Parts: sequence; structure tokens; C-alpha cells
Amino acid sequence: MGTFKTKNPGNQPVWVNTSNCKACDICVSVCPTGVLGMKYESTSTLGAMISVNNPESCIGCVECELSCPDFAIYVADRQEYKAAGFSFAKITDEAKERQAAIVANNYMSLSEQGVK
Amino acid sequence: MAFNYDKYLRLEKMPTLWCWGCGDGVILKAFVRAIDKMGMSQDDVCVVSGIGCSGRFSSYVDFNTVHTTHGRTIAYATGIKLARPDKMVVCVAGDGDALAIGGNHTIHGCRRNIDLTMIIINNFIYGLTNSQTSPTTPKGMWTVSQKAGNIDPTFDTCKLAIAAGASFVARESMLDPKRLEKSMIKAMQHKGFSMMEVLSNCHINLGRKNKMVSAMENLAWIDSITTTKKKYDAMTPEERLNLLPTGILHEDTEADEYCDMYAEIQKVHQGERKVITQDDFAKKI
Amino acid sequence: MATREVISTGNELAALAAVDAGCMFFGGYPLTPSSEIMHEISDLLPKKGGVAIQMEDEIGGICAVIGAAMVGQRALTATSGPGMSLKAEQLGLAQMAEVPLVCVNVMRGGPSTGLPTRVSQGDILQAKNPSHGDYKSITLCAGSLAECYTEVVRAFNLADRFMQPVIVLLDETIGHMHGKADIPTAEDVEAGIVPRKRFDGPAQEYFPYGVEHDEPAVLNPMYEGYRYHFTGLHHDKKGYPTEEIETCRKLIQRLEDKVAFHEDEVESFEEFMMEDAEVMIIAYGSVSLAAKEAIRHLRADGIKAGLFRPITIWPSPAKKIKEHTDKIEKVLVVELNIAQYHGEIQRAAARLDIDGLFKVNGRPISPHEIVSKVKEL
Repeated sequence: MGTFKTKNPGNQPVWVNTSNCKACDICVSVCPTGVLGMKYESTSTLGAMISVNNPESCIGCVECELSCPDFAIYVADRQEYKAAGFSFAKITDEAKERQAAIVANNYMSLSEQGVK
Repeated sequence: MAFNYDKYLRLEKMPTLWCWGCGDGVILKAFVRAIDKMGMSQDDVCVVSGIGCSGRFSSYVDFNTVHTTHGRTIAYATGIKLARPDKMVVCVAGDGDALAIGGNHTIHGCRRNIDLTMIIINNFIYGLTNSQTSPTTPKGMWTVSQKAGNIDPTFDTCKLAIAAGASFVARESMLDPKRLEKSMIKAMQHKGFSMMEVLSNCHINLGRKNKMVSAMENLAWIDSITTTKKKYDAMTPEERLNLLPTGILHEDTEADEYCDMYAEIQKVHQGERKVITQDDFAKKI
Repeated sequence: MATREVISTGNELAALAAVDAGCMFFGGYPLTPSSEIMHEISDLLPKKGGVAIQMEDEIGGICAVIGAAMVGQRALTATSGPGMSLKAEQLGLAQMAEVPLVCVNVMRGGPSTGLPTRVSQGDILQAKNPSHGDYKSITLCAGSLAECYTEVVRAFNLADRFMQPVIVLLDETIGHMHGKADIPTAEDVEAGIVPRKRFDGPAQEYFPYGVEHDEPAVLNPMYEGYRYHFTGLHHDKKGYPTEEIETCRKLIQRLEDKVAFHEDEVESFEEFMMEDAEVMIIAYGSVSLAAKEAIRHLRADGIKAGLFRPITIWPSPAKKIKEHTDKIEKVLVVELNIAQYHGEIQRAAARLDIDGLFKVNGRPISPHEIVSKVKEL
């Protein structure tokens, strides 16, 4: 039974419920700013798990959350996040380039080598 | 907090039994968010599903839910709606469910223009039974029942629905969940039969022998066969070949809704009005 | 019980009975020789605020009926043999999900298109198991015009008691028979309605399928704050699909036991001149009318014949049958099929020497034919 984690675990822009993730790569593919990447995880479905590698680049577009079929990734509510004294990033060229590199790396985090 | 999905889901049934990357989950999420935006009470909504991967849709959402037999969603929903015309009924079915075995109910639901919302999740294949040809499988694709290549012509769900008389017809894909959610709200708010075709992926069963083995490859293919209605309308017939327009394709707010019309029948029998004649429909015929 | 005298047909009386019994929904499809039920009820239901809809096919007809029944309404569908064949899968869903409804089958010649305008009793075994899988069917069979009314009323109360489809068998002869009948008043029928059970406690304590081993599900109407799941899959107490071994076994056993443990509530039969009978004729439906006439002739000729007429066909009144067949040597089953109920009588009697008179040419059996056969025994 999967318990959801819609509650922010501590002022995060984006967070993951690893027990729901089936490692389909969709969230990684739709992120515009290279925040996410897959990492090898031998105990997980398909041997991989999402990793939030660059939370500081999250622009709060919610694409990853909306495109996740398994209720495994969540994005902070914009107003709540702001009220807590945080703000989402603006999109940068560096972030876009990182995203392109992650896609080219078959959705794996840039620290990981090879394919899933 | 993120959006609170928990309220609308049967958490003890999670995680879903759908494969990794299956569009059904994205559509489920868009549906839940749409209901939340509409401010509907869960008690006032009934979700009816059929058989197939999409059939499990109803067991995951915490509404009044009915998991029916193969192809019969609209027929069950018709009884539910006529018994309680004041409440909302949403049908969820797959392409095989709604267009093959349930094709008759689909066209007659459209014809009656009864106030139901029909979400057809079209993944172009029979997924749950492992890759047989469906009425929407593109010609030339490999299926387990046509290993030499599919020769069966395909249905265009939306054209079929418009021709059969549905008063709201839209097509979206799970590639754009935000638009999907907006269209779903419009479909559910529309009074009359609303047909929503949602293109979805099945990289497991459609993709495995058709060079789309990952969700991403399958989604890229869906992207390549769709274009917005606006762009589609501006295209020449040659350019439109093998493309499906997305967006709201047909909307008629004037069409008579079946429950309303049946209320007139009740009035006749209760002596409150004269019998309905052809003249009553003269303008519309 | 007060009665009223009406002049009507069997089919029209079935429709009237449904409406008097509180039916608010009809879904069906034209099918000879049952169509008059739809014709009649499509006037009666809207008058009292109900709905009668002609669906696109037989399957759609019963699906809509199950849908309305899930919302809490008493609902009826009517058809004949070919329609029963088409409705079979949905009858199975109604058994599995425990949705009450009444299905009238006005029997005609079969198999397939058969003899659409002629009489038969060829759907007896089909009524026992119309759908695949294990469940215990309840099937009633009207043997007179008045019973076209009273058995439909009884069917609605049984459906709500046992939470499952109840089949009422008419046949072409009785469905189209036009004549005088003494039937209960609408007020009496209304007073006799026993609505289905409901749960009124807090929603989180509601388990529609979490009931005793011999009890039916308690299904509250939809849209009333008790959200649960209907499914044709094996399911747990909340209605959610499951493959847990013990849960699955208990569910299917309960579908059997909820009827098997309470057969006394379902059983119904008529004994006509059985007190001193030396020849026992077993017949049901319109054939029993010919049998009664034959018995009068036989008695005039000095042959002490009597009629045993099952009204509840399934489950059969097996114990009562055995009581008689243990005492009476000459037993003759008369039916408009080839030994469909005859086999059940053999089973109940535990005897292989039960005689039969069977006719399958679409014509009724005449009293004369029965008299001749009895004299041969």
C-alpha cells in the first residue's frame, strides 16, 4: 500500500515518494531545467529511481508532477512556498543545457554512466 | 503541500497495477484535478469503467464506482443517469472496449445525447490481453494477432462521435496534462454527451515490436501524429494525412439532452402537455 | 387479501405487476413474444415518474437496468430466449455484484431464432445457469394469468431479499393469453413490498459485502454518501478486487449459500388433486392448464391422477417432489422441451423410471395428448 507524501518534507521545491516510483523516466523528460535525473537503484523497479539533483533550478512548472502516472513526485504549492520565504528559480541557459545533456544521457543523472 | 490527491484516491489500492510510464495514471490524475477544480462532491460523481487496463480506473478513485463488463460502460451509465439525472456520470473505457465490443453503445450514447462524459483512453492496442489489434491500431503495425502486419483500417473516434450525434467532442493526449485537465473540465461541464478521446501510450504492448520500447519513444510517436486543431484546420488535405487534430473539435450547446427530453415524455403521461409531435422538432429536422 | 378482477393479457399483467411492486425503471429491446411488456410499461412508468427506455440492443437493456438498480431503484427487463442468451453475461455481473433486478423471459421456440411466435419451455435449463460461473439462480414460473401478476410481484421482493437477479418465466401461450384474472389490489401489493436492506451507520464502517456467510450484500443506493465499488471481479468486503484465496472462496460460497440456506423462503408449488393421486403429473407454466383439464377427464374415466406444479422452478422443490415420488409409482413429466425439467425430477426423486411427454413443435400440448399418454403408463 502506497502512502502518499503530498506534504512538503521540509521546504523543498520538489520531492519524491520513492515507494510509488516505477522509474519510467517521464518526469525527467518533461523537466525544462535539468532538476531531475535517474540513478541506479538495484532494489527498485527497472533498477532505477528518480533523484532530485538540482532543486535550486526548479521553476515550479509542475510538469513532472502532472506527467507522473504513479503519484510519485510532487511540487510545492507556489504561494505556500513563497510564504515560507522561498522562491522558485528563473529558467537559465545553463539549466536548459543541463536538461539537454540529461536527455542525451538517456535520462540518467549526469553522475551516472551507461544506460538503464 | 502539493495538490492533495489523497482525498480522491483509494490509497489502499495504490500503487496502481499499470505498467511503468502508462498514460492511464496521468489521465487518472488529470481527472482527479479536474473534479477538484469543478468543486464537485465525491458523493455526487459516479465513475463507470469497462474491461481492460482502463477498467481498473474506477477502483482507484474514491467516488461511487462501477466496474462493468467489457464494452458496456455507456449502457450501464445510461441506466444510472436516467435514474438520477441530477448527478454526474463519467465513463472511462479503452479503444477496444468502447470502439470494438462496445461500439454499438458508444454510437447510440452519442445519438441520444444523454448527459454523460465518455473518456476513451486510446492506446492503439489491446494492452491487458497482450497486444492484439484494436480498432485504432495503425495499419502496418505489428500485433500478436496480425504478426504479418495489421491490415485493418482504423476508426477515427472523434469523427465517429460527431457523426453519431455527440454534442461535445474533444481529443487530447497525455503529453499535455494541463490541456487535458482543461478539456476534461469542459467535457464534464457540458450538458449532453461529451466524448473525450485521450491518446495514450502503451510502450509495453504497442511499442515492443513497433520500435517504441520506452514510454518516451511511444510518446514521441504520439506527438508526431497529433497537431492542434488550429494548425490542422489550416493544412491542405495532403498535409493532414496520418495526423489527428487535438483540442475541442465539436461543441453544440443547443442539442436536446435525453434526460430533459424524457422529462417531457413524463409530462405527457402525467397530463401536463400534449403528445410530442414532429412539429415540435420541425425547426431542428 | 383483497382482489380485483381484470381482463388483460399475461404480458400486460406482468408490466402492471412490476409497476405496482414499485418498479421505477425498465430497459429492454423489442423481442417477440415479450414486446407487449415494454409497450405496456412504457405508458405506465412515466406516468408515475419512472423511466422506460428502449435500448440499442438486449445487452444494453439489462445493463441500463443494472445501472438503475445500483442507484437503488427496482428495475425490470423483459425478453425471450434469444435475448436471454445475449443478457447472460450481465446476469452474471448482477449475480457477482449482487444487484437485484427482475428479468421476465416469455419463452418461445429455440434454439437460435427458432419459432418466434410459437410456444416453448426450452429455457428451463438456461434459467438455472444463464451465465458462466457459480451462483444459485432464482427462477419463478407463472402458470396462469393471475400468476403473471403475482409472480412478478414476488420476484421483486425476492430480488431485494436475496440481492440478485430473479428470472420470471412466462411462455408464449400465457404471455399472449387474454382473459379474466383475479389479482391482488395495488394497495395490498404496495403494503407487501419489502425493500432491500440498507446500512445507516457511519460511512467508514460500511462494508457492503462484509456480511454473514449465508446473507446477501447490503448495497446502499449510490449518491447517498456511502461510496463503494461494484465489480464483476472477485472482491473483498468493501467491493475492491482481490485474489486473496480465502476471500475468493468465501465470496462464491456465499453466493450459493445465501439462497441454499433459505430455500424455504423461495419455495412455491401447487398440488392439484394430489391427496389420493395414483398417477402424478408434473407440469409447470401453460402446460399445467392442459394438465388440469386432462386430470378432470382421467378422473371421470376412473384414473386417480393429480398434478404437482412447481412455481419456483429454481431452486426446485426437490424434497416435496421426493415425498410424492416415494409414494406414487407412476410419474409423468409433461413439458414443451426435451426432458429439461425431467432430469431435475429424476434427480429429486432419485429414480430413473420417471416418464415424460415432450413436445417441441411450437404448439401447445392438448389435454387429450396427456390423457392418452397417462393411459399408456
